Amino acid sequence: MKKKFSIFLILLLFCLLPSGANADNFEQMRKDAANIKTVQSRFTQKKQMKILSRPLVSEGRFYYSAPDSFRWEYIKPLKSIVISYKGETKRFIMSGGKMVEDKSGGVQAMRIVLSEVVNWMSGKFDQNPSFKASIKEGTITEITLIPVGKDMAGMIQKIEISVVKKSMAVKSVKIIESENAATIIDFRDVEINKTINETVFQDIE
Amino acid sequence: MKRIALLILSALLFVSCRTLPAINSALPQAAQKSLTCPSPFLKEPYRLVHGIETRMAGDTAGAIIGITVADPATRFVSCAIMTAEGMVLFEADAQAVLKVKRALPPFDSNDFAQNMINDIKLIFFAPEGKIKARGILADGARVCRYQEENGEWIDVAERQPEGIEIKKYSSYGNLKRQIKLNRTAENPYQNIELQAKELFDYSLLMTLIEAEPLEGELKTEKAKGDEE
Repeated sequence: MKKKFSIFLILLLFCLLPSGANADNFEQMRKDAANIKTVQSRFTQKKQMKILSRPLVSEGRFYYSAPDSFRWEYIKPLKSIVISYKGETKRFIMSGGKMVEDKSGGVQAMRIVLSEVVNWMSGKFDQNPSFKASIKEGTITEITLIPVGKDMAGMIQKIEISVVKKSMAVKSVKIIESENAATIIDFRDVEINKTINETVFQDIE
Repeated sequence: MKRIALLILSALLFVSCRTLPAINSALPQAAQKSLTCPSPFLKEPYRLVHGIETRMAGDTAGAIIGITVADPATRFVSCAIMTAEGMVLFEADAQAVLKVKRALPPFDSNDFAQNMINDIKLIFFAPEGKIKARGILADGARVCRYQEENGEWIDVAERQPEGIEIKKYSSYGNLKRQIKLNRTAENPYQNIELQAKELFDYSLLMTLIEAEPLEGELKTEKAKGDEE
């Protein structure tokens, strides 16, 4: 479970990446990504499943600071926060009206995630052997990742990432798990290279 | 003669479930019969989404989201568990047969799936068994006691103002599950606390995120499923 959970979190954290939409190819994207020092945004996550008549909507926000600090936070309906700072990753969940540290395996999973995130922050979109990556340029640049290994068999069919070419901001990420299930994350208020106080990655308040 | 039979039956009942809490039998028989059983259970098909906090040995172990579709008329249950991040860990349907569609470790044992379906039915569906006793518990709670076909006992008790409590005992009277429904005016399933007595005891604190009735929709979905 830890491995699959890690992969899933990796896919979510993939959304952190402003992907350098002006790039003609992945090599150019790697160069563009080198200029990214911080990213912050709000997001809306919509979970679609056959068992749900309408998507289950979650709201949250994320922060990233190079080289390896991030905060991935859900505000509703279920509060949870993952923070990573100087190699230490912690997950917090709401319990009895206050945030407490999650002692389950999710924290271990995040350590694995982190090394992958660092790779992607370097713009290495197409260097994960678990995915075949393709890019389609337009007003909205679309990056498609298709899993090639067995790790994600029955778990992920495809990932589609949309990037606004003009602003170079990630617009949405769609993780298609099966014919009847998908996770769609829409980003808004994306700010790149705006100063983020370090306490954001250390303090859960 | 009837009184003797009743006495023997009561004695047998007392012996067979000697650890079950005593129900006040001092009530006149007419009063016992007229006592209305607490029934917080679903009356129509519903979809419920809960935030679930899991605890083991008193410590918070994790937080997940649980989705339940339940039809009390057919006792059909469909359920899913996922993380806040949206990763689906478990998905199953059950009516006559349990069908697990997805189960990632540690949710991949047959026992887990069956126990989960049983817990959902215990929370949302009225017991199938016959009422064996009804009356008042020592603390004043109004209670009805059912015995299921497999011999297990289910007590459904109501206290004012706390709310409704459902307890399941083994056929030998050992407590297996304790469920508290801290009812609000809006929905009896707003806050659910489940305590499980297993090899490793655990508890679930469930907080309602959303609920909706689904009369027509469920029939359509099930028809589609049957065709598949």
